[in-house]
Amino acid sequence: MSRTHARTKTTWFKTTIGVVLTAVMLFPVYWMLNVSLTRDTDMRKSPPDLLPLHGTLTGYRTVLDDQLPYLETSLVIGLGTVALTVALAAPAGYALAKLRPRGGRVLSFVLLAAQMIPGIIMAMGFYAIYLQLGLLRTVPGLIVADSTLAVPFAVLIFTAFMSGIPGELLQAARTDGAGPLRTFWSIVMPMSRNAVVTVSLFAFLWSWSDFVFASTLSNGGAHEPITLGIYHYIGNNNQQWNAIMATAVLASLPAAVILVLAQRYVAAGVTAGAVKD
Amino acid sequence: MNSSSGQRRLVVAALTALAVTAGATACSSGSGSAGSKDADSGTYTVWDPYPQFAKSSAWVKLLDQCGAKAGVKVKRTGFDTSDLANKTLLAAQQGNAPDVLVVDNPVVSTLADGGVLTSTADTKLDTSKVDANLLAAGQSGGKTYGTPIGANTIALYYNKKVLQQAGVDIASVKDWPSLTAALAKVKKAGKKGITFSAIGTEEGSFQFLPWFWGAGAKLTQLDSSQAESALSLWKDWLKDGYAPNSVLNNTQTTSWQEFASGDYAFGENGTWQLANAKKAGLDYGVLPIPAAMGGAAAAPTGGEFVTIPVQQDTDRYATSKKLAACLTSTTNIYATDTTLSYVAPTSEVQDKQVADNAELKPWVAAVKAAKGRTSDDLGTKYPKISEQLWKAVQSALSGSKSPKDALSSAQGSVK
Amino acid sequence: MTPMNQTTHPPDLPRPTPVPAEPAPTPPPGAKKRRRPASTQWAAWAFLAPVTVYLVLFYAYPLYRNLDLSLRNYTVRSFVQGNAPFTGLKNYRTVLDDPTFAPALLHTAVFTFVCLAFQYAIGLALAVFFNQHFRLAATLRALFLVPWLLPLIVSASTWSWMLNSDSGIVNAALHAVGVDPVNWLTSPSWSLTSVIIANIWIGVPFNLVVLYSGLQSIPSGLYEAAALDGANAWQRFWRITFPLLRPVSAITLLLGLIYTLKVLDIIWIMTKGGPADASTTFATWSYQLGFGNMLPAFGPGAAVGNLLVVAALVFGLVYIRVQRRQEALS
Repeated sequence: MSRTHARTKTTWFKTTIGVVLTAVMLFPVYWMLNVSLTRDTDMRKSPPDLLPLHGTLTGYRTVLDDQLPYLETSLVIGLGTVALTVALAAPAGYALAKLRPRGGRVLSFVLLAAQMIPGIIMAMGFYAIYLQLGLLRTVPGLIVADSTLAVPFAVLIFTAFMSGIPGELLQAARTDGAGPLRTFWSIVMPMSRNAVVTVSLFAFLWSWSDFVFASTLSNGGAHEPITLGIYHYIGNNNQQWNAIMATAVLASLPAAVILVLAQRYVAAGVTAGAVKD
Repeated sequence: MNSSSGQRRLVVAALTALAVTAGATACSSGSGSAGSKDADSGTYTVWDPYPQFAKSSAWVKLLDQCGAKAGVKVKRTGFDTSDLANKTLLAAQQGNAPDVLVVDNPVVSTLADGGVLTSTADTKLDTSKVDANLLAAGQSGGKTYGTPIGANTIALYYNKKVLQQAGVDIASVKDWPSLTAALAKVKKAGKKGITFSAIGTEEGSFQFLPWFWGAGAKLTQLDSSQAESALSLWKDWLKDGYAPNSVLNNTQTTSWQEFASGDYAFGENGTWQLANAKKAGLDYGVLPIPAAMGGAAAAPTGGEFVTIPVQQDTDRYATSKKLAACLTSTTNIYATDTTLSYVAPTSEVQDKQVADNAELKPWVAAVKAAKGRTSDDLGTKYPKISEQLWKAVQSALSGSKSPKDALSSAQGSVK
Repeated sequence: MTPMNQTTHPPDLPRPTPVPAEPAPTPPPGAKKRRRPASTQWAAWAFLAPVTVYLVLFYAYPLYRNLDLSLRNYTVRSFVQGNAPFTGLKNYRTVLDDPTFAPALLHTAVFTFVCLAFQYAIGLALAVFFNQHFRLAATLRALFLVPWLLPLIVSASTWSWMLNSDSGIVNAALHAVGVDPVNWLTSPSWSLTSVIIANIWIGVPFNLVVLYSGLQSIPSGLYEAAALDGANAWQRFWRITFPLLRPVSAITLLLGLIYTLKVLDIIWIMTKGGPADASTTFATWSYQLGFGNMLPAFGPGAAVGNLLVVAALVFGLVYIRVQRRQEALS
């Protein structure tokens, strides 16, 4: 009795610490929310108000009127980027981790180097290529461009995680007559669920918050992502800060939901694995 | 001009070569598709720095109307102003420049120097009615590269309530010493003095120039004693607490937000804030920025130019010119400048603006006295000078160098 | 102007990337023995083919482009018309001689290593903390990722808002506990610290997620056995968690390093590298040269960018050495 009681107590204690840490971490996000509700005249009040006492919803009203289609585009692009990234990177990670190809190290090295090219230079390159291919201002074009943010990272992560899969398991599969493709699909992939979720999360978040590619490759198109939507409140002499912040708040809501769901899935995957042990 | 086709060939060649080395044929579908414009010669592209104007705005409707009048369809894109020059260079390099480009005036000479813009002599765009001091910002090497759509400049907004509480009579503010004395009184009364923008970008130089010119300094010599006196004026305001330290990081918008809080006696800001001043419910007045010895200092002109970028197909210029002329016609410019809170570039429209709104009177006067940043035949030398100027302002105000040292190293870097 | 010049130039230039389509002629030394059946090799490269094609298609051209920019004397005019004269390493010399070079190098090193150390330490501590079972753990961990959702322009602006000298919440809080206000963004002695703080904040979620996933793959049986042996929590961390997490830690640190080296938006939005270059890093300097002015200096800007690429390559080599040693051990 008393033991379970003590255990519940430590759990609550940890939850409290967790909540406090999260609150500290999210304070800037709260501040963004606060600014989104602040009247223009109070924006630079000193000292600032901790709570939006004279709150105004004008920022949100403007944003709701204009921004919903952008959110949809961002969602499509984010999911597309995730699919493309995993499809390209998971097989490569498997090969690098388990099949020891000749030249594999050179490839990993090139992947590392690839990430160092400044985003703006990448964007200029894509602009030239897309102009030829007619991909400027298209959703697939932006998906491919955004995936360059995540693919090298994803390959490295898959390689790191898949190295941890015991060789005996793969050996056993081979003895059972499974080819490399079969082994990859029915053993390696299911065991790499954590890596897949991690990679998907980052691929999604990077494409969600990408601005450089969006502004170079899709500005003026029929489908613009939310990061460009924000720029509609940045005029040449004026910035509408509460609309900008309101857009950011709205933009983070759907993504936050996806995050929470994804985390649940990771937790579920983990317990499933534990049961198998 | 066949540079772009050469470039295009290069890209295709590079791509094909790379695809072949990789042993892939995935790229074969990409050949032969031409630039977007060739596909539809009845569509004209317009780029502007007004992303805040949505599809339903008067500006976009005006573009459509002008297109309809010229018998073409207009495809418009609004860019962030700091991004527009780079986007244009990139597009021009790829042979994909817009047909009509509305762009911030100090960039015009840079773009013209890059061979991106046509001159008005080539396109026969009429600029005869435009005020000479405004047109000068778009002139370089004896040629004119566009026509202003509107102009703005900066002056001192003052808060009547704060001044009254501090016992300052605004009529007494005539030169730098009297302005500084007024700031001292305001501070004594427990209020805040003045806010401006001294950020490390073009905005910082833009805001410093009236003081720099007002001291009698010239952009060709940054380390003159006059320049030093202007920089010392700002530096001393910060030191004495008349201006907040945040000016170093203020854009003109954040500086305006400080003034709009109602605590500041003065705020240096532009014509475009007029509408916001009314919205904020401030009891304000506007004063030209005083020169060191009295009188009004020359302020720099802001505002955009309508330009016609170079195209491979020169036949397009005739229609582009019609679009540009329509956008800058007397009636249209009046409407556009009213939405932007700008002063019109021609006397005819200026008179109409003042007649309709007396508050614009000091601004029209200020614009008439204003000076283009790239004027005095500085042209493409200006961006370099300006960068050193804002760096010097930042060094001096942050205390890492004395005004004298900051300016002399700035002058050293320009050479 | 002769555009054809352009097409004849590239062959003179060093190859931008080693094209890894064909297997390397000599196998890397130290690799494990012969056991490399041809069929596995075919399978391996079949799995690698998509990503290889992708790399060549989408990275080679921008990289070539950046090299080309840094080796020619580009002006606005020649950028547009594509006939800039080849000047060899002149841009690199200009950059090395620039008075900004030394401070930028120092700031880049300080920024990168301080950010990396804090991000990793905080990320690991949080990962270990959230790896325990308590109520709301999953939800709170998810909330930690929210900073990642925000476009950088917004999070950086929010930070500069909070750190504002006069109306910022941080100085208001300091004032409340009796500390004098700090000019976070506008004093040369504080601006680098401020951007470091903001960047640590942005980087923690990345470290948390990757390290947490790494922790998940450590079998819980190991901990139970250690607990039975009487090891306390601290000992379990140093003897089990830390060593087993080493491969994931290595990759986290390497990626963190690469991302931190090229951080641009945060610094640019918060301080523009100022005041007076006090927070200028190679990344902001490169951007300042190429795009921060109305008259872009593409050549020197690209040269600085390439120096960053070289720095990352050096660290990449170090990583590969370490990895090889680990493989040799296992």
